Amino acid sequence: MMETAPVAAKYFDGSSAKKHTVTAHLAQRHGAQVLVITGYGADEILWPASELREVTDQAREEGIVLSQGQSGIARVIVPHGDAERAIRSVAANLGKRQVTGRQWRKVGLWASGAVASVLLILFIILPALANTLATMIPPAREQALGDQTLEQISGFLGGEGADDMTCSDPAGLAALEKMTARLAGNRTFDYDLEIRVFDHGMINAFAVPGGNVVLFDGLLEAATSPEEVAGVLAHEIAHVVNRDPTRLTLRTAGSVGILGMVFGDFAGGAVALVLVERLMNASYSQEAETAADNYAHVMLAEADLPSTPFAEFFETLRAKHGDSEGFMSHLASHPNLAGRAKAAEEADTVGGAAYAPVLNASEWAALKAICD
Amino acid sequence: MSNFSVDNRGTSAAVADDNVMAVEYRGTQGPLFRLGLVTAILTFLTLGLYRFWAKTRMRKYFWSATAPGGDPFEYTGNGLEKLLGFLIAVAFLAIYLGLLQVILSFAGMSVFSGGDEDQFALQILFGQATFILILPFIFYAQYRARRYILSRTRWRGIRFGVEPAAWGYVIRAIGHTLLTIITLGLLLPRQTFGLEKFRVDRTWYGNVKFEQGGRWTALYRSMKHLFIAAALIIIPTILALLGELPVLFVFTFVGYIWAIYGVVFYQVDSFRVMANEKILGGEIKFQTAPVPSKVFWTYVLGGLLASTCAGLVASAFAIVGVGIMGNTSGFEAAIDSAVEAGGLSDVPMTAFFGLGLIVIGYIGTILMYGVFSLIFVQQPVLEHYVQNTAILNGDALEDIVQRDRDEMVEAEGFADALDVGAAI
Repeated sequence: MMETAPVAAKYFDGSSAKKHTVTAHLAQRHGAQVLVITGYGADEILWPASELREVTDQAREEGIVLSQGQSGIARVIVPHGDAERAIRSVAANLGKRQVTGRQWRKVGLWASGAVASVLLILFIILPALANTLATMIPPAREQALGDQTLEQISGFLGGEGADDMTCSDPAGLAALEKMTARLAGNRTFDYDLEIRVFDHGMINAFAVPGGNVVLFDGLLEAATSPEEVAGVLAHEIAHVVNRDPTRLTLRTAGSVGILGMVFGDFAGGAVALVLVERLMNASYSQEAETAADNYAHVMLAEADLPSTPFAEFFETLRAKHGDSEGFMSHLASHPNLAGRAKAAEEADTVGGAAYAPVLNASEWAALKAICD
Repeated sequence: MSNFSVDNRGTSAAVADDNVMAVEYRGTQGPLFRLGLVTAILTFLTLGLYRFWAKTRMRKYFWSATAPGGDPFEYTGNGLEKLLGFLIAVAFLAIYLGLLQVILSFAGMSVFSGGDEDQFALQILFGQATFILILPFIFYAQYRARRYILSRTRWRGIRFGVEPAAWGYVIRAIGHTLLTIITLGLLLPRQTFGLEKFRVDRTWYGNVKFEQGGRWTALYRSMKHLFIAAALIIIPTILALLGELPVLFVFTFVGYIWAIYGVVFYQVDSFRVMANEKILGGEIKFQTAPVPSKVFWTYVLGGLLASTCAGLVASAFAIVGVGIMGNTSGFEAAIDSAVEAGGLSDVPMTAFFGLGLIVIGYIGTILMYGVFSLIFVQQPVLEHYVQNTAILNGDALEDIVQRDRDEMVEAEGFADALDVGAAI
């Protein structure tokens, strides 16, 4: 038990805006340690030391601000110094904040509500809506959008514009056209397919909204047979048929705003936002990639072409870049390369039998030299 | 009280000197910097979850640093109730916002067809449409946030309070905004004053009510620098269009800079004009004289200082990050992920580490900028306002008694979800 000498303090009773000058000291009453406040009315005010709570994060100039219990309305402000130190030494619960079970249940309830609402929109409503809306955009509009995307990408790759980056050797173009025609067979498409080669060393290919497909020269260089390129081209045509670029654009437009809302201001949530966005888009696009692979297998089979070379191409990629494993494979935009190679291999309908090559030797050479 | 300088612009108190209650500011740089840094780091580490507590603690500090008559305000909000309010808002808003954005980007894509100028205008319109369609929610959120904050504000143990009237506020705010746009900003004072009066007339301290007096036309003087800026931009442009003079870009450039000053001047000066016309309980008045140029230069110089300090932190991160990345593979990874509109190759995951460090450094820089601007911008501006404010006839405050607690379970969740919360 501690007894201290009275010090002048400020007291606000919580019922009027009057300031009361009082004295406060520690004493023992009824066998317990209490803070005694005198000078407010006739009687002493007794606050048990164990019930004292400190009002925190104060720009502390005049003293320690105390209340009785965490929901007490009255305040006593004891000046810094010996009195404050004495109070700190006997009041064990100054920083204690109790959250009732009812409050936790409320938070839990609304947290589930918020999570359910976010999951519902992100994984059920948005994908369904995006799939439906993607088919409702007029093809001409999609094409315009795709042209713009193409310009942006070529700018990003350091080109002077899409046309500037596009390779235009006539023999190469003819070879490319022949390959496209063989794959397309007698299919009709909603868009005019426009296949082009970008003069860039990346081993990659992509499709943008509206039927534009781009292969990189680096991919042609790395391919060991025209059938490998045909596999890749079939995959990209599948994206066009499925309208994947448009669907993904729509889905992303909806989900970015929601994720921004959930994770809040920049500094705190940015990492989480990037990670979750990546994770979500990956799950979206891995699904689309697998579907495109399957469609490509069918296209190859119908064109009487083997899909084993397509599998070999994945192995080439794997040797060059390595594969995504473990947690990282969930972040990657594309499924695991080994799995894709295996699927392509299994889908092969030609086997070891002879087949008409998609390009003859001179056409294949012309395609490889399309950017020279 | 040494800094008290209400009379520095010649305003004279109509009340006996002994009944003028000065407002002290007690914040200092060291503790605020530590509080800002600790809460920023915690927010970062908890992926943003701590932001509700961070903001609460920041408010507690600023409130307690502001002390009319030597008695500080107290902020009694807590982080958990803020989180709860946010969760409630997300539960309601997520679906609405998601639908809105998909449908609008669909509409944008459907009308878009390349370089055509009409289409271009439409596209901009669709770009802004999200904002316009959530504007009612933003006004709603702002009113509710103010109500929440004041219900958690006490002075001398007595609560402030705001009457619930958020939808009425939304309707008036939209009406005023439309009028201001239609009149090309000429009715801005009417909007500023009308909305302030709506808010203030519904604000209480204990059992007494605030009242906003004065007339909206008084705010035209606060707009003078905006008018000068407009003249500097418009007149040379008209002359140039008439072909009488070459375009005097110097004037328009000066005009744009002047407009920035004009905005700050309007904020500060309209605050002064309206604050001096506020009355509490029919007898307590306020006197304030913040200096617009002082506030403007605090923004400019404090902002520069804060970004310089944050820049030093950024450089440190960048040097280490580039060192780890070492080669161009990180850059290729960045390109790969950007080009993946249906691309085929895999992003080399190994390159993500160096890139990650640079990203963290980038975020760290913004985070540090926030902390530095607390002590170089926000606190000095608040301090300037506070120290140039006084309460007249403060003795009457003694008669004011307590009001009931406004529970407000939703707290300021809508403002947090829509990110329209006040700076502090």
